[in-house]
Amino acid sequence: MRIYAFCVYLFLYTPIGIIALFSFNAGRHASQFQGFSVKWYGRALNNPFVMEALENSLMIAFTSAALASIIGTMAAVGLHSMRGPVRAIFDAVIYIAIMIPGIVIGIATLIALVTVFDVVNPWLAGLWADAEAAPQFSMGRGSVIAAHTMFTMALVVVIVRARLSTVEGALMEASADLYAPPWVTFRRITLPLIAPAIFAGFLLAFTFSFDDFIIAFFVAGSETTLPIYIFSSIRRGVTPEINAIGTMVMAASLILLIVAQLILRRDKKT
Amino acid sequence: MMQEKVPGGTQEAEGDASMPVAELRSVSKSFGSVLAARDLNLSIRQGEFLSFLGPSGCGKTTALRMLAGFETPTEGEVRIAGEVVNDLPSFRRPVNMVFQSYALFPHLTVAQNIAYGLQQQRPRPTREEVSAKVSEALETVRLAGFEGRRIWEMSGGQQQRVALARAIVNRPRLLLLDEPLAALDRKLRKEMQIELQDLQRSLGITFVLVTHDQEEALSLSDRICVMRGGRIVQIGSPRELYDEPASKYVADFVGTSNFFEGSIASKDGEQAVLKLADGQTMAGTCAPGLSVGDKACVSLRPEQIALENAASDGAHPVTVLNRIFLGEHTEYLVSSETLGNVIVLAPRQAERAGTSYNKGDKAWITWREDAARILLSEQ
Repeated sequence: MRIYAFCVYLFLYTPIGIIALFSFNAGRHASQFQGFSVKWYGRALNNPFVMEALENSLMIAFTSAALASIIGTMAAVGLHSMRGPVRAIFDAVIYIAIMIPGIVIGIATLIALVTVFDVVNPWLAGLWADAEAAPQFSMGRGSVIAAHTMFTMALVVVIVRARLSTVEGALMEASADLYAPPWVTFRRITLPLIAPAIFAGFLLAFTFSFDDFIIAFFVAGSETTLPIYIFSSIRRGVTPEINAIGTMVMAASLILLIVAQLILRRDKKT
Repeated sequence: MMQEKVPGGTQEAEGDASMPVAELRSVSKSFGSVLAARDLNLSIRQGEFLSFLGPSGCGKTTALRMLAGFETPTEGEVRIAGEVVNDLPSFRRPVNMVFQSYALFPHLTVAQNIAYGLQQQRPRPTREEVSAKVSEALETVRLAGFEGRRIWEMSGGQQQRVALARAIVNRPRLLLLDEPLAALDRKLRKEMQIELQDLQRSLGITFVLVTHDQEEALSLSDRICVMRGGRIVQIGSPRELYDEPASKYVADFVGTSNFFEGSIASKDGEQAVLKLADGQTMAGTCAPGLSVGDKACVSLRPEQIALENAASDGAHPVTVLNRIFLGEHTEYLVSSETLGNVIVLAPRQAERAGTSYNKGDKAWITWREDAARILLSEQ
């Protein structure tokens, strides 16, 4: 049994380990290790295309995670005070959103956005005197942010809901009993108590958005995010530079995930 | 006046002492198909210590929560200081509650917890006013100097005091206490009972306590409201409830009692005679509302029965079945051929005088006729 488990882990982590290892390869071939070097990291960080893709990815991840945290928290708090079938239906819908494969969300979002743009853009053009100057919606950062927000919001809702269910209902009643109107109760009692969960949700949403290739690939239009850049570079062959980028992305994601887990775990203890 | 909740308004608004602080008028509350409270009528007097007493599920907590504003009555009116407050949310009511779980805010310090209600007042009190009141409240509950402590650093009894301080610092018109002592151990509970009573007297705030502990209700309250199945069964002073229970339920719930079932054979004013199943009769004081022929019972408190070692007029011969030493009292379980098993509580003095009995001893029981209460048997 132990050997079996060992094999499974070996199978899972060897490719990742090799990528990390070869990112430090001094030579330019992926198959031959020719001494230790960090030059590929330097090369990657000096590549303007990489930096642009990274900047896009960071901007998209930050914005979508922030939006998802705000909207997701509002949804979670709203759902928490609901009872009966409405709540059950919303719960089910949220879990389904998490379980649906990324490719389905990608295609569905693409079709939905294209349909909406086809309706809205001519209408906008009609509103402006000069149709050429009218603002037009198109695929790009905005559409990736929208798609990521939609998906990661479900993660935030689930995490915040879990935390909310451990907050004693009597605390809200006590606050109301001490003359605090609902908004004050939310700001002074509910929000501080669920803040760690919101932050953990934000980190998970950020990681998800930062790593996501499938959904972004469908709705990014001409915009390039880091995963899209990696994917397109790989078609020209795996270089140590790609390994370096991949290792950095992986390290950043792992750190965020670990931080999120630590926050949630410490939160459970108190 | 009720639109703006003014904690601390007690001082100005006390004017008419005869006006009840709060009233329930024909109040009913149902949760779905469950009737939690039925036709409650009660007026709470300024400055009194009132308890809702009953087993769990009797509607006492629902009644309290309707006063606090956490539940809205399905029917009837809840009035505070003469005004109907049915639709007034809890944060606008001049009442404060001490929760069973204390519900202290875990992310705030002791001082911040206590200051919470003060900070909601308009006009907003200054920082100095708030901290002065917080310190004073902490002193009142004998926790001076605990301002900066965290909630989880405090023991259960200390948390209880903080919860109390957090409520009284606002000088509510009505302080609601939902089983506040249930989580404390017996000794601490006794201590807190005394402190609660002192606090109520020195502050002059009206206290409304919910409890299932009859001893607690008896020792603390000016008046007790006994509830059962969502209804108020009897309202009265502890003494009235104990000495003049309105029904067998009250006699059984408040204190212990011996019951002898039968039907009323004759009635003359307050006095009546009950005929037991085997034909013998027992006389006693009749609760109001009973008439000849009603199924009723005689209630006899164990301490009002005397155990004697010689026969006297009207005494019933018994055999001692069991003897339990209770400290200041000794409880005897005796068996009479005519009355069945009877519990007798003998004070320690009686034992010192040499009238102590052992298992199997023969003895006689007697009681004064006015100690026997004839009550409706409703069970």
